[in-house]
Amino acid sequence: MDMNEEQPHVEDRCVPWSDGMQLLKDAAEGKHFLPTGLEGIDTLLGGGLRKGQLTEITGQSSSGKTQVCLYSAAHVAARHMGAVLYLDTSNSFSPSRIAHILDELPISLIKEPKDMRLKRVMSSIICESVFDIFALFEVLDRLEVSLNCKVTNGSNKICLLIIDSVSSLLAPIIGGKNSQGRSMMISVAMILKKLAHKHNLSVLVTNHMVAGNGAPKPALGESWKAAPHIRLMISRDRGSNICTATTLKHTLLACGRHMKFQFLPS
Amino acid sequence: MAGEAGGGRPRDWLSMDETAAAFLSRSLSTRPPILLPPPLHRAPLRPGNVVEIAGPSGSGKSQLLLMSAVQCILPKEWEGVYFGGLGKAVMYIDLDCRFDVLRLAQILRKRIAACYGSVHPTNENFVTDGSKDKFHSFESTLFSDCMKRFLYVRCYNSSELVAALKSLKSQSEARSEVFGIGVYFLMLDSIGAFYWIDRALQPTRESKGKTLSFQSITETVVQEIHKFLQLQPILVLVTKAPIYGEGITTSNDFQRGSLKHMSEDSTALRYPKREEERNGSCREYMPSAWQTFVTHRIKLQDLGW
Repeated sequence: MDMNEEQPHVEDRCVPWSDGMQLLKDAAEGKHFLPTGLEGIDTLLGGGLRKGQLTEITGQSSSGKTQVCLYSAAHVAARHMGAVLYLDTSNSFSPSRIAHILDELPISLIKEPKDMRLKRVMSSIICESVFDIFALFEVLDRLEVSLNCKVTNGSNKICLLIIDSVSSLLAPIIGGKNSQGRSMMISVAMILKKLAHKHNLSVLVTNHMVAGNGAPKPALGESWKAAPHIRLMISRDRGSNICTATTLKHTLLACGRHMKFQFLPS
Repeated sequence: MAGEAGGGRPRDWLSMDETAAAFLSRSLSTRPPILLPPPLHRAPLRPGNVVEIAGPSGSGKSQLLLMSAVQCILPKEWEGVYFGGLGKAVMYIDLDCRFDVLRLAQILRKRIAACYGSVHPTNENFVTDGSKDKFHSFESTLFSDCMKRFLYVRCYNSSELVAALKSLKSQSEARSEVFGIGVYFLMLDSIGAFYWIDRALQPTRESKGKTLSFQSITETVVQEIHKFLQLQPILVLVTKAPIYGEGITTSNDFQRGSLKHMSEDSTALRYPKREEERNGSCREYMPSAWQTFVTHRIKLQDLGW
């Protein structure tokens, strides 16, 4: 297809322009916050993980990134908000930890016997192991196909996509002389944002940190900085379960705010 | 040319079309200077200008676009309250896909409240007497009128961008028929979003022998915007994020490509990576077709407070 050919009629029909009021209506339709279950993080996010947006959690090793992912998956599934697709790159998904998190849910949410709830939650969380970038592309492709043809069915529709951690898939390919690596990273970012917007998902990814000039900085470099809507950095106080989260980037709220939150002891 | 129009004297083509004064007043009336919120108020901008706003991530480029958009969609005056806006439509093409409509709504509401507050100052009885309800009804109609003047489209790759640019003309005509106002601003956020994806394109042989590359895509983008500018004078605002490259020439990417591409692009890529990160300056990665198209360049710096 030559881009310079005059095909005015075809293009006009395919380009979906919308105006401000329509955008507001789309943003307000449907409950658009998914709780992570951790009050400090939910406050920083402005209510929770927002549908249609890509949220990144970055932090040093064992600062609690996987815990945030597990908490989000458990709480979203327990509150009947939809299914969760958990893409695990380092075999860190732990069903026993999910069960433990569910045990500590507030009493108001417990409406059924424990083992029934555990069974329901476990069947709502779809966990897949992904070990390289090409497997990730394949999974995202399959997800898009299944979302396109599935009839919307409230509790079975995927509403949260978690990739723990996306940086372990992308970091090995972006170095080097070839620009293919960076192009794949930007493609992943585009695909995730497209999925989030079109199918009203919330996407949560984790990123690790690398050494920088002085302080450690998030991995994946400057090109990735423009990808997520919201970036949070978490750090764990030494030897305890209390962590601090800081906003690095947000579409609505000011950056640089801190909140403390706590994990349950394991 | 001299003897073309039948019967005219050869010296007729020397006669004057209009004086410089007439030319100046005509161009000032059809393309009046635009006052944008600070810091853009320092540049003398008129419709037909192409402004490139460059800066590192987090320096406020998208924020500038949103503030300028609000300035454009607000009317000059409404129900006795002066806003100083332009009252025209804005077309926003989102390539980063990070636009948040709630942020636009937040900025617009704050602006409306501030202008209203300066005319109808609030007192302690704001909630109890009817003034709060008056404000709400005033605000909601004005708000929805303004939001309807903001047109938005998302593009996930370069072909969608070109398609959106081709549809500019018909979209703006359709909207102006319905609402009676024309488009005045065109915004692109941000122009380098598909840089890496397009650079990694293997040059393929199209049916007419044209290769598809970042250079040719940019030239097409420039061409389409130029075509629209000729129909309707608008102000074009474009944000540009910096690209930190590997500091290599394009020879690895264009192995099968033409030599012409190599010589044009390699001058832009001679910066070694470490030097540019230390300097804090980023190399110019847009092809010369884009650089000559831009009329104004604004650089933003993150002071890190």
